[in-house]
Amino acid sequence: MPRLATTGEGAGTGFLRLEGIEKRYGAASVINGVSIAAREGEFVVFVGPSGCGKSTLLRMIAGLEEVTAGDVFIDGARVTELEPAKRKVSMVFQSYALFPHMTVRDNIAFGLKMSKVPRAEIGRQVAEAARILQMEPLLDRKPRQLSGGQRQRVAIGRAIVRHPKLFLFDEPLSNLDAELRAQMRVEIARLHRELGVTMVYVTHDQVEAMTLADRIVVLRAGRVEQVGSPDELYDAPGNTFVAGFIGSPKMNLVAATVTARDGAALTLANPSLAAPLQVAARHGGGAQPGPGIGDTVLLGLRPEHLMLGDGPNRIELTADLSESLGGSTLVYAQTRAAEPVVLQAAGRQTLGKGEPFTAGFDAARAYVFNKDGHAF
Amino acid sequence: MPRVGRLLHGAGLLAVFAVTIFPFYWMVSSSFKTQTDLLASPPVWLFTPTLANYAEVFADQKVVGAIVNSLIVAVFSTGLAVVLGTPAAFALARYEFRGKSDLWFWFISNRFISPIVLALPIYLVAQNIGLLDTHLVLILVYITFILPIVVWICTDQFRSIPRDLEEAARLEGASQFDIFWRIYLPLGVPGIAVSAIFGFIFSWNELLYALVLTRRAVQTAPVVATSFMSGYELPWGKIMATGTVIVLPVTIFALLVSRHMVRGLTMGATK
Repeated sequence: MPRLATTGEGAGTGFLRLEGIEKRYGAASVINGVSIAAREGEFVVFVGPSGCGKSTLLRMIAGLEEVTAGDVFIDGARVTELEPAKRKVSMVFQSYALFPHMTVRDNIAFGLKMSKVPRAEIGRQVAEAARILQMEPLLDRKPRQLSGGQRQRVAIGRAIVRHPKLFLFDEPLSNLDAELRAQMRVEIARLHRELGVTMVYVTHDQVEAMTLADRIVVLRAGRVEQVGSPDELYDAPGNTFVAGFIGSPKMNLVAATVTARDGAALTLANPSLAAPLQVAARHGGGAQPGPGIGDTVLLGLRPEHLMLGDGPNRIELTADLSESLGGSTLVYAQTRAAEPVVLQAAGRQTLGKGEPFTAGFDAARAYVFNKDGHAF
Repeated sequence: MPRVGRLLHGAGLLAVFAVTIFPFYWMVSSSFKTQTDLLASPPVWLFTPTLANYAEVFADQKVVGAIVNSLIVAVFSTGLAVVLGTPAAFALARYEFRGKSDLWFWFISNRFISPIVLALPIYLVAQNIGLLDTHLVLILVYITFILPIVVWICTDQFRSIPRDLEEAARLEGASQFDIFWRIYLPLGVPGIAVSAIFGFIFSWNELLYALVLTRRAVQTAPVVATSFMSGYELPWGKIMATGTVIVLPVTIFALLVSRHMVRGLTMGATK
């Protein structure tokens, strides 16, 4: 796996570099100062809710959207004002954007034809792309004769024949059904491994982000919320937004009161907690003042870290509903303060509405957030 | 009630169909009648067809020449309007520039004026620059009528082409001309075909300007057809046969082009 840039803020090196990118449409501000960098060969995923500006950011890297302020660098060169074709990037669109009046072969060959590559060479390249994507039998068909997955493959084929320095994917799987999506996800991962090219991938699907990314950039309202490897984001979300976005089902957040503090260690109390809970800060605790005694904080517990029955720490809950997933069960419950809590229990569980039960967890896997949402 | 409604709907359609198709039927059937059958009262519905009227029409150099003139004028005016109008439509559909909406309105406003209003000024202009009784003057005048139609229909058609296609092409290194030529034109064929049909039919049938601007050399088919009406005798058979011959090329052209008018040509591009 490629090594990771250490920080999202103003990273000075990188194969792809965005520096202080802003985008405004009139008075509406869409991107508010984004600086990120990706190493060569890295798979970076932009993730965030719709309207967070992730697609706009991608389109600015491609050159399809003008940058209001800031700079884009690709492979050491400033490309901020360069036209799209000269940036040596390929993009796979959510809609695939295949040319409907051309055969698969002509679709794939389009870019090569535009750059006046000799005919024999085009033939060779198209054959090579068709081989990599296993679509030789489809070459003479028109896009309308293809299934969604096949169209997606053609779109990827069109992207790879040009040997771009950078691949851009704009929610490429969102028009596919669940099964195909999983299959294409694996295929894109394989492609990345085979080609070793830097890829930037936009999605709102955290599963795609977690499985594909070397590094995830979480965006909200045109700002970077956090940058890190999937595991880093999962293990140490910087705020409640990232905590809620990474991991499925979402992390549970329960209000608790600080009863004691010893540097980076807090003692929390909550009417549902069986005993005072000792939690250590994940982010050093010292970078910000953090909560003091008597303050209310949010205790974060991931559904998959809550166990039915006993554990080192315990929380008393009342069941609302159980959903069996076959191998595991999602139990929707409430704390005594009527805060919703979901837990993912192994096997099949039948907890009826109103049934009280105890869930156990490990304090090492609990998260604490300040009232303003920042992780402690 | 829905049953009655359906019946009424059907009856209404039938009535409209009968009213629109009857003159056409009468023209075609009359063209195969002898003068006696033609003038029979009450009209005869069953008769022995004759080709005499057609023989007379094709023997008449004036009619044949007029059809050739009409073809020249219609093909060139329609062709040039498409050549000039599609790039204009592309620009109006895909670019933002100052005065865009004014330009757009100007194109449409050309169709607001009743043709008769401009007939005299155009006649005077044509006379002064020596263009009277030429193919060129009709072609130029007809372009001013057809061009707005082409621009209007094609702008709409081009707007319906997914923008992703243009962006994908740009990323692949296509120039603006490549995008127009390789993406918008082929995908715009339905709109181009519709506007070409309109344009062709307009040029082919246009009577007012053809009458005003031509003398002997460049008389078009409608002018010649009406010229039969003067004199002491009305040769109905010949007029009807000429009418049928005039309708034929437009019908064939429309049938040829209608194949391209299918909707959903862009299917498979996106999603």
